[in-house]
Amino acid sequence: MAKTALKAGSRFKSAVSDAQVMIVKAPAGEFELGCGGIAMVGGTAAAPEGVALAAGDAGEVLIGKRYVNADESLEMLCTKGGKGTLSLDGVALEIKQAKQLPSSD
Amino acid sequence: MATALTTNLAETFAKRLLNELGAQPLRDVRVDDSHPALIWARSGLMSLTGFADGAPLMCPLPVAACANGALAALASLAPEGALNDLNGAALLAERGAIAEHTRKGTTSPGGSCRLLKTRDGQIALNLARDDDQALLPAWLEDESVVDEASMLIAIQKQTMHDLVERGRLLGLAVAPVVPPPSAITPWHTVTHVGERAMRRASPRVLDLSSLWAGPLCTHLLQRCGADVIKVESTQRPDGARRGPPQFFDLLNARKRSVALDLSKETGRAQLCALIAQADIVIEASRPRALRQMNIHAEKLIDENPGLTWVSLNGYGRKDPEENWIAYGDDAGVAGGLSYLMREASGESVIVGDAIADPLTGLHAALAAFVCHRQGGGRLLSLALTDVVRHCVQFDRPTNAESLKQRQREWTELAQGNIGEPQMRAAPVQARELGADTVAVLASWGIAC
Repeated sequence: MAKTALKAGSRFKSAVSDAQVMIVKAPAGEFELGCGGIAMVGGTAAAPEGVALAAGDAGEVLIGKRYVNADESLEMLCTKGGKGTLSLDGVALEIKQAKQLPSSD
Repeated sequence: MATALTTNLAETFAKRLLNELGAQPLRDVRVDDSHPALIWARSGLMSLTGFADGAPLMCPLPVAACANGALAALASLAPEGALNDLNGAALLAERGAIAEHTRKGTTSPGGSCRLLKTRDGQIALNLARDDDQALLPAWLEDESVVDEASMLIAIQKQTMHDLVERGRLLGLAVAPVVPPPSAITPWHTVTHVGERAMRRASPRVLDLSSLWAGPLCTHLLQRCGADVIKVESTQRPDGARRGPPQFFDLLNARKRSVALDLSKETGRAQLCALIAQADIVIEASRPRALRQMNIHAEKLIDENPGLTWVSLNGYGRKDPEENWIAYGDDAGVAGGLSYLMREASGESVIVGDAIADPLTGLHAALAAFVCHRQGGGRLLSLALTDVVRHCVQFDRPTNAESLKQRQREWTELAQGNIGEPQMRAAPVQARELGADTVAVLASWGIAC
């Protein structure tokens, strides 16, 4: 994928594994989302052929975890787990601390 | 008189539960034989249901009687007299008394769950966590959603199906207002079978749960003679510690408190070591949360013959349902209660106060106690939604007309009998977070 605008609610899938994410919030502008070193694919687009997980990427995207960039201006949620490290413009994303439990429901 | 009952529904329900579990009661099932309408009215549940400026509403399904039945089933197996001072239906309403909750119509008494209009129907949305607000733009695919008003407008433009599907993906507690299925839903499922083995007569229980359903379950097991250890993560302790102290104390008094750092390998190893020495584990995490910590219920059951493991969840342990979250109020909606109230009275309302929580806690205590007596070695899944459905399906009128008629009759019967929720007092304060960590680990021979 070329650089694209990221909007809250848009979904992306990994080109090299089962991983899928949904954008929770994103900064304005255009970016490239990656997984396993390869650009992720938007929504219903078909995955490119002949691509593979970057050698040496032992990362794994975990379902239910939220991932953020350094200043937390980008946040996305993994909706399906899979291999590969998530990245924004080539910089790896990190897992965000789990949400505090509610005090009641 | 059309309303006269020839059978005691609560007793029938209790016997059905025991029968489904293959349990032989130690003594006769003894249960209040009042009319289900009176049980609902007196329990305080009626006072918690309906609009703030309207009359309390009758639930035309014997849900409160089912709660009495579940408790009576447990009492028929428990040490004589262990549960004599308890009333199942009153347990469903007691948080309302402590937290001074009142009925709010389409909003839950606790305030976090609401019934909202979509393009083609209603959904329940429970924003119980502060952080949930941050998910709204993604949920609605609309970055202009910044407040209440813009959220309501955006929801009205979308379909129930899309909102529920996307909400579940995002981990929001969202449920459609739909009828319960007509086929009987099992209230519990055995999802893994290990070896049976007889364990301690008075079981050692590890409670990894939080909020209401799980803690009520272990509170009842404690009343039946169990030794309960409440295990919490130091990083994410039970949120109910920040709620009304009387309620936390009531459910957690006399449980020892162990706090472990589950973000570290040491803490996870300590938890596995505790589990290996327990007879019953009660937890209410999404299965993937434990799996991601390398804690596998199935494996631990295989390694520990006789272990009873109860998984409390919103919608079951299958994929994708295991990832959907539910709290007590939205699970009540998902179970069909709000839909049937609309059919009966013309108005959708939230029924009770987080009703699926205490109802599930009661059922879970029974299932855990029976399984332990039978030699354990089972992973039991109790879904909040399924427990509600099972109660709703029990003695459900066959069509909308008879549901309406029953609601009129039961409402009339209840007049003069509508009580407020009642609270029990906690015998002592609950232990501080982690107050017993060192002592429990030391006495069980686990390294700190």
